[in-house]
Amino acid sequence: MQRLMFLASYVIKVVFMNLKVTGKVMPKQTEGYISHMCLTKLKKLTPLLLIALSLSAGTVSAEERSALSIRGFGTLGVARSSSPDVEFIRDLSQPKGIKDGQWSGRIDTVLGIQANWQINPELEAVGQVVSRYQYDASRDPALDWAFLKWVPDERVALRAGRIGADFMMLADSRLVGYSYLTVRPSVDFYGSLFSSSFDGIDGSLTLRLGDGLIRSKLFAGVLPEKVSGGPGVWDTSGSPIYGLVFDYFTGPWQFRASSTSVRFANDLNFTDLTDPLHAAAKATGISTAGFAADALSAKDTDSHYYTLGIVYDKGPLQVQAAVNEIDHETATFQNSQAGYLLAGYRINSITPYAGISRWKTKYKDHVTGLPDTLITPYGPVDFKPLNQAYQMLMDASGANQTTYTLGARWDVLPKIALKLQWDSVHGKAKSKFPYAKAQTDPGWDGRTDVISATLDFIF
Amino acid sequence: MLLTPIASADVVLVANPNSGIEKLTQSDVINIYLGRYRLLPTGSTAVPIDLSDKTEIKAKFYQLLVDKNLAEINAYWSRLVFSGKTRPPMQIDNVNDALQWVANNLNALAYMDRADVSSDVIIVFEWPSL
Repeated sequence: MQRLMFLASYVIKVVFMNLKVTGKVMPKQTEGYISHMCLTKLKKLTPLLLIALSLSAGTVSAEERSALSIRGFGTLGVARSSSPDVEFIRDLSQPKGIKDGQWSGRIDTVLGIQANWQINPELEAVGQVVSRYQYDASRDPALDWAFLKWVPDERVALRAGRIGADFMMLADSRLVGYSYLTVRPSVDFYGSLFSSSFDGIDGSLTLRLGDGLIRSKLFAGVLPEKVSGGPGVWDTSGSPIYGLVFDYFTGPWQFRASSTSVRFANDLNFTDLTDPLHAAAKATGISTAGFAADALSAKDTDSHYYTLGIVYDKGPLQVQAAVNEIDHETATFQNSQAGYLLAGYRINSITPYAGISRWKTKYKDHVTGLPDTLITPYGPVDFKPLNQAYQMLMDASGANQTTYTLGARWDVLPKIALKLQWDSVHGKAKSKFPYAKAQTDPGWDGRTDVISATLDFIF
Repeated sequence: MLLTPIASADVVLVANPNSGIEKLTQSDVINIYLGRYRLLPTGSTAVPIDLSDKTEIKAKFYQLLVDKNLAEINAYWSRLVFSGKTRPPMQIDNVNDALQWVANNLNALAYMDRADVSSDVIIVFEWPSL
């Protein structure tokens, strides 16, 4: 028991040391050091986690029940996408995807470990570390959650620390493959999400309403993350985020509505484009070129995420549907609408499922206003490459596609599931945002078929 | 029903006799066991107990409660646990320890076969016999 308590305090200490270090906006040169530090700590932590696991696996009577629990989840997955032109990715955090019919374990494979420490009946500390393919093309473990949860009353829960962003229905568990039917959450619906957590607070209130329960949740904080956005890595850390979520549960039904807003703290790096545009505006007096450059700014612009969702889950039948709308003030991203419908029916331990999803963005009509060739007294000036580069950027965040999904989940053992899935993507050639490296492939016709097989587990 | 090893009428939920709980409805039990709302009619917080996956009664209990198998219950909890939302019921390996825990804790609840119910606990929910 003493050993367990020591382990618990060590785990929590390490988790919160990491939170303290990584929770701040760090100058760029310290980032490598920080991730190295996290990794070193994790390596030190691993044997301890194993000891804790072996201890917690032993039979203890209820009275001696440990306040510390260590759990984990993971997915071993392979997938292939038929298109030779674009790289299929799971979400925007991934800088490289899969293409050309090559099988790869890159996009879906994930491992997560979580420690829960019940400090007293009202207070719990939770830390979760996840290794997956991420923005910097590494699988370095990242601290996804580390928070204190206070439940002063069964109706009220307050959390502070690094918390899962409850952006959209099921969004905060979208790495836990074992928890859902499909191989991965709908790319059309969740693919534009790049953030899994924020540093801040949330509070929820659950009340009875008629035969059901209504849960309201408010959250606010700042993003800690970097994403793979356009040219290189976009540092979204320090961006304020806040939102409101309503859930209503009654019988087999769950209804959800949510609204989230983010104000970006940093620009994407487009100076290769914006500097020449500003220079051209100044030299030619064509002010639209300057406006076009300014429209690309993301710093201090707002993005809003609205969602509605519905789940029907009764016995062997599960049906879920959701729609979202995402509005970006910056011209760098087109506004988008998406939705999905998924249904599965369990027959013994096998659950076949079918789904359809759609993602469509609305083109933002910004132009540089520069003629491709400007005739001056000193000779012609060629603005065509600049216009083309700007157009390419405007097109880069376009999505217009429908995905048909068929698959089956087989619960082989109580904590292990095997899944096989076929996604047939029917899109337009302009549907580039959902993919990595689509901007440079003129051969892309919007069609790809993705076959995936995963083994999902929890422990 | 004769073909199933445990009849629905044999699965009961028990509480401490001094808990002040008289009866619970099926939707109360669903809310408590699925971690949605654990406030008891008495104003205290329920402490539900799960038995081991190896027990026959656990599978039967969840089948009766929400018509789900244990893999589905595990998947449900993995979503809530790994998003840091709610704790699953405390697990106790055998019914004797569960009985003892309920007898000693005012807000504890446990499911069991009617044949295992002792005089230290009271039945607060049961399925009607068919």
